[in-house]
Amino acid sequence: MLELLLYGGVSSAIYALLAVGFTLIFGVARVFNLGHGSFYALGAYFTYAGQTYFKLPLLLSAAAAVALVAGIGVGMARAFATPMQRSVLAALMITLGFALLVEQILLLTFGSQARNVQNMIAGTVQIGAASISAQRLLTLAVGAGLIAALWLFIHKTRLGAAILAISQDREAAQYQGINTARIFTIVMALSAGLAAIAGILAGSFLTVQPDMGILPMVKAVSIVIVGGLGSIPGSIIAALLLGYGETAVAFLFSTRFTELVSLGAVLLVLSLRPAGLLGKRAAF
Amino acid sequence: MNRRSLAAIALAVTALAAVPLASKSDYLLGVLIVSSIFAVFAASWDFMSGQTGRENFGHALFIGAGAYSAAFLNLEFGLPPAATVPLGGVAALFFAVLIGLPTLRLSGPYFAVATLVAASIMERLTLVLWETTGGEEGLTGLSALARTSVARYYVALTFLAVTVGILVALARSRWGLILRAIRGDEAAAQAAGTNTTLHKMGALLVSAFAAGMAGAVYAHYQQSVGPHVFGVILTVTIITMAYVGGIGTTYGAIAGAFLLTIMTEGLRQFGEFRLLVYTLFLIAIIRFLPDGLLLPIFQRGRTP
Repeated sequence: MLELLLYGGVSSAIYALLAVGFTLIFGVARVFNLGHGSFYALGAYFTYAGQTYFKLPLLLSAAAAVALVAGIGVGMARAFATPMQRSVLAALMITLGFALLVEQILLLTFGSQARNVQNMIAGTVQIGAASISAQRLLTLAVGAGLIAALWLFIHKTRLGAAILAISQDREAAQYQGINTARIFTIVMALSAGLAAIAGILAGSFLTVQPDMGILPMVKAVSIVIVGGLGSIPGSIIAALLLGYGETAVAFLFSTRFTELVSLGAVLLVLSLRPAGLLGKRAAF
Repeated sequence: MNRRSLAAIALAVTALAAVPLASKSDYLLGVLIVSSIFAVFAASWDFMSGQTGRENFGHALFIGAGAYSAAFLNLEFGLPPAATVPLGGVAALFFAVLIGLPTLRLSGPYFAVATLVAASIMERLTLVLWETTGGEEGLTGLSALARTSVARYYVALTFLAVTVGILVALARSRWGLILRAIRGDEAAAQAAGTNTTLHKMGALLVSAFAAGMAGAVYAHYQQSVGPHVFGVILTVTIITMAYVGGIGTTYGAIAGAFLLTIMTEGLRQFGEFRLLVYTLFLIAIIRFLPDGLLLPIFQRGRTP
C-alpha cells in the first residue's frame, strides 16, 4: 500500500511537470502544443550527451539541457506563433510535425537503442515496509517543489498575473497593455523547461529512446482534458488521478493495461463533464 | 462538376488503367498500388474532416483497426480478403462510435485530440500485447490480394475507383451539402433545425468504414501488419496528402496521395535521412502554403 502511494506519487509528479506547462500554453495561446513531448525527450538526451560526449558533471549538463530546451521553446514560439494562430489544423500539424522532426533527429544522432541518464543520487531508501530508489524519491520531491514554485510565480508576480490575465481574456489583457506575444514566448520557455526537467529526472529509471516523447505528450493531452483546459489546479489534480490510477491498475491487474487508463479517463470525462474536472465552462 | 474537371478525371483513370500495358514492372505497379491505397486513406479522411471541418488526428486508428482485424481473421480463421476487407471496415466502425459519441457533440479540438490519444494508445497496446499482436514485428503471412502483380494492381485500382465514386456521390448529395453547412457555420446549421451531431457521426462512420477497409487492403497487399499502422506518422502523412491536394476536395486528396507517395519513393536516395527530409517538407508546406499546393495551381485563371 505504501509502495503504491510512493510509486503513484512519482508518476504523478512527472505527469504534473508535463501537464502544467502544456496547460499554460493552452491558456495563453489556445493551442495544443503536440510537440510538448519533444521537450521531455530533448531534456533527457541533452543531459545524456552532455555527460557522455562533453564529460560535463551531471548537474551541469542537466542545467545546460534545461536552458537549451527552453531556448528551443522560444525558437518555436518565434517561428510558428503566426501560423499556429491561423487555424486549429495548422497548429496541430505544425506542432506534431515538430515532434516527428525531433524524433528523426534524435534517431539519426543517437541511434535507436535505449539509453539512460545517470542517477542524480544512487541507492534505495527504506520507508516502513516499502523500498524505493532514491532517484524516484528525488523526482517526487523536485516535482512537488517546482509545482509549488510555479504556483507562487503565477499568483505572486506581475508576470504571473499577466499570464493569468491572458488566459482569462486575451483581448482585455491586450487592452491593459500586456504584450501577448512576449508572454507567449516566456510561457513556451517555461513549459519547455519544466518538460525537460521531467525528462531528465525520469530518464534514469525510464528508457531514453528517440520515440519517448510521443506517449508523454499523449498523457499530457489526456490530463489537461480531464483537468479542464487551461486550469492549473485542474491539471495537478488530473495528474495525480492519472498517476495513481495507472499505478493502481499496474499493482492490481497488470502493467499491460495501464495505458488504457488515460484513454478511458478522457472518454469518460468528455461524456460526463466536457469542461473537465475544474474547468468552469467549456473552453470553446 | 464542370467539363474541365471531368476531362481531367477521365484522363487520369484511363492513364492509370493503361499502365500495365506499358510496363509490368513490379516496382512501378507496387508504387501505384500503395498510392491507390493511400488515396483511399486520404479521401476517407477528407470525407469526415474536409466536409465537416472536424480534423481527425487519429485516422490511423481506423486503418489499424481494419488492418489488424483483417490479419486476425485471415490468420486465425482463414477468411479470404473478400471477407476480411469489409469486416475490417466494420471493426473500424466500433472505434468510430467509441470516439465519436462523446466528442462530436462538443465544439473545439476535442475530437481531434481524442482520436490522436486513441490511436497512440492503440499503437502502444500492439507493442504491450505482443503475444497476440506480434509486437514490434507484427503479424506476417497474410494471404495476398491476388496472384500476379498486375491482378493486384487492378484490385487496388478498382477498390480506389469504387470507394471514391461512393464518397464523391455522398459529398455531392443533399447530405454532403448539410455536412459542408456544418463546416461553414455549425450554429446556423443547428438554427435551421439540423441535428449536426448526428450528421457528423454519420460522416465519421462513412470515413471510418472506408479507412478500415483500406487498412485491410493494405495489410493483404503487404501480407503483414505492424504497429506503424496505428502510428502518428501515418495520420500526419494522410492529413498532409489531403492538405497538399486541398482540403474538402476529394480529388485533391487523391492527387496529394499519389504525389506524396511517389515523392517518398524519390526520397529513397536519402537513405536514413528520408523521414527527416520528409518531415521538413511537411512542416514547410503547412508553414508557407496556407491553401495547399495543388488546389491553387488547379484554380489559377478562374474566378475565385
